[in-house]
Amino acid sequence: MSDALIFQPKAGKPAPPSTLGVVGWVRGNLVSSLPNAALTLLGAYIVYAFFSAVIGWAIVDAVWEAQNRRECLDLVGRAGACWPGVKAWIPNLIYGLYPKDQVWRINAGFLVLVLWAVPLFLPWVRSKVMIGLGLVLLYPLLASYFFHGGDKGLVWGALIALGLTGFLWSWLTAIAEARREAPLLEGRRRWILLAGLYAVSLLVVSQWVLDEVQTRLWGGLFLTLVISGFGITVSLPAGILLALGRRSRMPLIAAVSTTFIELFRSVPLITVLFMFNTMLPLFLPAGVEVNRLLRAIVAVCLFSSAYMAEIVRGGLQAIPKGQYEAAAAVGLGFWQSTSLIVLPQALRIMIPSIVGSFIGLFKDTTLVSIIGLFDLLSMARAVGEDTVWLGLFIEPFFFVTMIYFVFCFSMSQYSFHLEARLGAGQRR
Amino acid sequence: MTTPILSNATARAIFYQALTVLGVVLLFWYTITNTVENMSQRGMSAGFDFLDVSAGFGIGFKLIDYREGDSYLRVFEVGIANTLLVAVIGIALATVIGLVVGLARLSGNWLISTIARWYIEMLRNTPLLLQIIAWYFGVFNLLPRPRDSVEWGGLFFLNNRGFYLPSPEPGQGFGLTLIALAAGIAAAFVVRAHARQRLFETGKLPRVIPAMIALVILPALLVFALTGQPLAWNVPVLRGFNFQGGTSVPPSFCALIIALSIYTSCFIAEIIRSGIQSVSHGQTEAARALGVKPSRTMRYIILPQAMRVIIPPLISQYLNLTKNSSLAIAIGFPDLVSVWMNTSLNQSGRAIPIVAMTMGFYCAVSLAVSLVMNRYNRRAMLSER
Amino acid sequence: MFRYSLAAIAAAAAMLVAPIDASAQQTLAQVKARGSLNCQVGLPTPGFYALSAAGVWSGMDVDMCRAVAAAIFDDPAKVQYQSVTSAVRFTALANGESDMLSRTTTWTAVRDTQLGLEFAGVNFYDGQGFLVSKASGITSARGLDGATICVLTGTTTELNLADYFRANRMTFTPVTNENVNVLVETYLGGGCDAYTNDKSSLAARRSAFPSPNDYVILPETISKEPLGPVVRHGDNNWGDIVRWVLFGMIEAEEMGVSSANVTEMLASPSPGIRRLLGNEGNIGEGMGLPKDFMVRVLRHLGNYGEVYERNVGVNTAVGIPRAGSLNALWNNGGILYPMPFR
Repeated sequence: MSDALIFQPKAGKPAPPSTLGVVGWVRGNLVSSLPNAALTLLGAYIVYAFFSAVIGWAIVDAVWEAQNRRECLDLVGRAGACWPGVKAWIPNLIYGLYPKDQVWRINAGFLVLVLWAVPLFLPWVRSKVMIGLGLVLLYPLLASYFFHGGDKGLVWGALIALGLTGFLWSWLTAIAEARREAPLLEGRRRWILLAGLYAVSLLVVSQWVLDEVQTRLWGGLFLTLVISGFGITVSLPAGILLALGRRSRMPLIAAVSTTFIELFRSVPLITVLFMFNTMLPLFLPAGVEVNRLLRAIVAVCLFSSAYMAEIVRGGLQAIPKGQYEAAAAVGLGFWQSTSLIVLPQALRIMIPSIVGSFIGLFKDTTLVSIIGLFDLLSMARAVGEDTVWLGLFIEPFFFVTMIYFVFCFSMSQYSFHLEARLGAGQRR
Repeated sequence: MTTPILSNATARAIFYQALTVLGVVLLFWYTITNTVENMSQRGMSAGFDFLDVSAGFGIGFKLIDYREGDSYLRVFEVGIANTLLVAVIGIALATVIGLVVGLARLSGNWLISTIARWYIEMLRNTPLLLQIIAWYFGVFNLLPRPRDSVEWGGLFFLNNRGFYLPSPEPGQGFGLTLIALAAGIAAAFVVRAHARQRLFETGKLPRVIPAMIALVILPALLVFALTGQPLAWNVPVLRGFNFQGGTSVPPSFCALIIALSIYTSCFIAEIIRSGIQSVSHGQTEAARALGVKPSRTMRYIILPQAMRVIIPPLISQYLNLTKNSSLAIAIGFPDLVSVWMNTSLNQSGRAIPIVAMTMGFYCAVSLAVSLVMNRYNRRAMLSER
Repeated sequence: MFRYSLAAIAAAAAMLVAPIDASAQQTLAQVKARGSLNCQVGLPTPGFYALSAAGVWSGMDVDMCRAVAAAIFDDPAKVQYQSVTSAVRFTALANGESDMLSRTTTWTAVRDTQLGLEFAGVNFYDGQGFLVSKASGITSARGLDGATICVLTGTTTELNLADYFRANRMTFTPVTNENVNVLVETYLGGGCDAYTNDKSSLAARRSAFPSPNDYVILPETISKEPLGPVVRHGDNNWGDIVRWVLFGMIEAEEMGVSSANVTEMLASPSPGIRRLLGNEGNIGEGMGLPKDFMVRVLRHLGNYGEVYERNVGVNTAVGIPRAGSLNALWNNGGILYPMPFR
């Protein structure tokens, strides 16, 4: 055997120096051609001009300590921002007019929400669907007492206890699954456990007394979250029903669903809010008072359901007919095949659009300020009407814009992440 | 309940439908009787008689003629005209910007594609209402006062009262020029169709663009000169507080248009990007293999296929833009919602007819667009195999 | 599913058929049953319905709400403030959401006769004026021909402005908004030549300008703006209560009864004061209120003069001088003239 016959590849030449390192990257990505270089310069200039103007006003020339707006004006005029006014109003911007000594309830309510959601992100938890459903359906019951409080009555008390049970059950499940004690939560023992939990919850709730805080005192970011939270929670199931209705073979049901969807999609949210705000009391018998917040929530829910319905319809259309037929062939009924076969696949496709629609809904809640609810935007507006900070207008708006951006941006980033993770199984 | 009638699919279908209809009818009946009773009890009037009453307030920007003494009905018309104007200009601008940003997003230049990405992320994640206010105060209110206007050739002026431009005043016989222009455009289209025919038959694209331009311009110019140049320009002049004459648009209009089109352009850019990316890469490769030039690959291979994905969401963005123009109220541009559902409602107090008319208008627009869209969809679907 | 839907129809039908008590209750009874007064104010505005960073409502119009609550409950805190945009103010009253509306609303014929409203009186006489910069050199509203003017939309201000220019054969371009701060910001940025509003508001806004002394309020007052509380049409008793609480506060000032001396005044021999404080006559009882309802109002809120000075007087940020203005008492050069309390 001679060594000469074995193929000896030559060592590869190094890449040309002009394509390597920082220089190479810059040449390849920024200045590969003359127009490209010009574009780069232009882009860099726009970014610079924009940020230097904003930073100059918001940070460099801004006033950070002052007792009232007069002091700010005397210091920098209108060239720099006057942040002390916003600082003084931050509690209102976040919690609205909620009594200051009760604000802990809002914090606690949201803490429960976060705690409840934690198992959803733990890798070993398998009952994520059940926990998620429980969160969506039962958390509002629990939160209602945290936020509103007051006299419970029998029915409401029972419902609050249901919420508490859901919370405890979610965590027990998570713990049990962590320790692989699944049998504890199966069969009859699960029902016994649930009954026990409910009894405990009832006992706790009966001893639990919070002062009433009327909804007209709710406001700020808190109110914005409540309204959009309701909208998001209601719109998904309602949207699914409407979409199924629209695709139904029963002509009248399809007609009613289609009319509803098209009607609400064709008008601006502001008109819907307006109609519900001013007209709902006229539609109901004299003497029936419907809470202003509730009216806004109903309007937002109806509106967003119509949008969600179209997203869901798009998702349903993307499912191959074979899936429906296969489901029918193994003897599944309409509701079974829809909920077990079609929807799970459709929902996965729809995630980006659903999150997009949630973001839209969250942003759209700014409109409730127009019917006089003290959401984040109205509160920002109220800052400039405070005699101490009279005329302070741009700064609170800037602040609120930042809050919206942080929320919406994180949501959209999470949706990218989710899309990437769920799509992983689909990629080939 | 196991009787055969209940498990019969037809019977169940009839039952569910009857149920739905009954529910809807009951809901309407309940709502209407309550409303009628409440209104009569509280002495509110639902009639449309107020439409003839003089409105009595001024409107800062109107496309059609309006005076303070005109009726509420006229205000409604002014509002509709303004809303439609915003929608049309906004849609055109948004499409152009969206296309540019969408392509920038796909650009090989790292800085450009990154800027495009952040542009989209930043703008679509902040409420439009706040963006409109930001444009109004951050840009248009900071422009110089009328005396120090930015001017272009003594014809166009930009200041913090708005944008002023000369307005054409057609004289006797200007219609003929317009007819010649229309005929020229039609002829140019015929030439273009012919050129396309040639392209598909022979694979060669004749140079027709200079001919097309000549066809559009020359006859019109000729007629214009022959009829004695019947067109005067009314140039804005600074007099008293502000520019007089010409046409002008207020800063609120500029801010609204820019905010709306930039906001919508983010969504359009994403639609265009995903549309182009949805065309399988094999198509590009196949075109390259056949020796089609890259520019023509885009024009004749990719875009026609991408359009099918792009058009439906694009139209719904157009509708969104039209609906979002109702946010004009925040900066006081007199669109339909601002001038009708806010000011007129406030001055006349007739909530029900006014809200109903506003919603009716938006419904009508959407319905009209949906009809056209459905027709397009049917055509696009048919050509698919 | 099928069975559930049957049950659902049965339930829905039962709800629909259930008898509904459609008889309009008397407002006073409703308020008492609810335990608080639903009082509608506007979006926060200094002096009239101001909201502080601590979340407390105050102002002339807020005190009107508090006075009515004090008369009914002997507790001015029993008010639920509804802060509503001006676009929906009348519908929110007419549809029964608010019991009364106290939010610088101008008393006009159309509003009084066509919108199902009832004006209970006037608690502030205002008038519309113009604010211009000194540098503009304008000294009279007549010099505003062709000007661009910032005006609050949906108010009588907007109509008066158009009327004034039409009457004087002048032209103007309105820049409208429903948010005063947007208008002020626009004006300061030079987006309009003049800013018009009720003079009470002009003075307050000017005080928050970067350099207030560079601006003047033109001498003309182009409109009458009688501002006052409003109630729903049809419940005359409720209208009487609001009206006579207001008159009572003005009458108290005229008679020299204030929050400081109301307890001593209970022993006053003057028949007028005795009637006002309920020691004689049955004015309160006739309206379904206790005899001494004005004692409650005066003890908690004080008389009209005290309310004025506390909220919009010269020592406040709003700073509107009262002496010699329309809002002085009738025997003091103004036109505040309470109907006799007898």
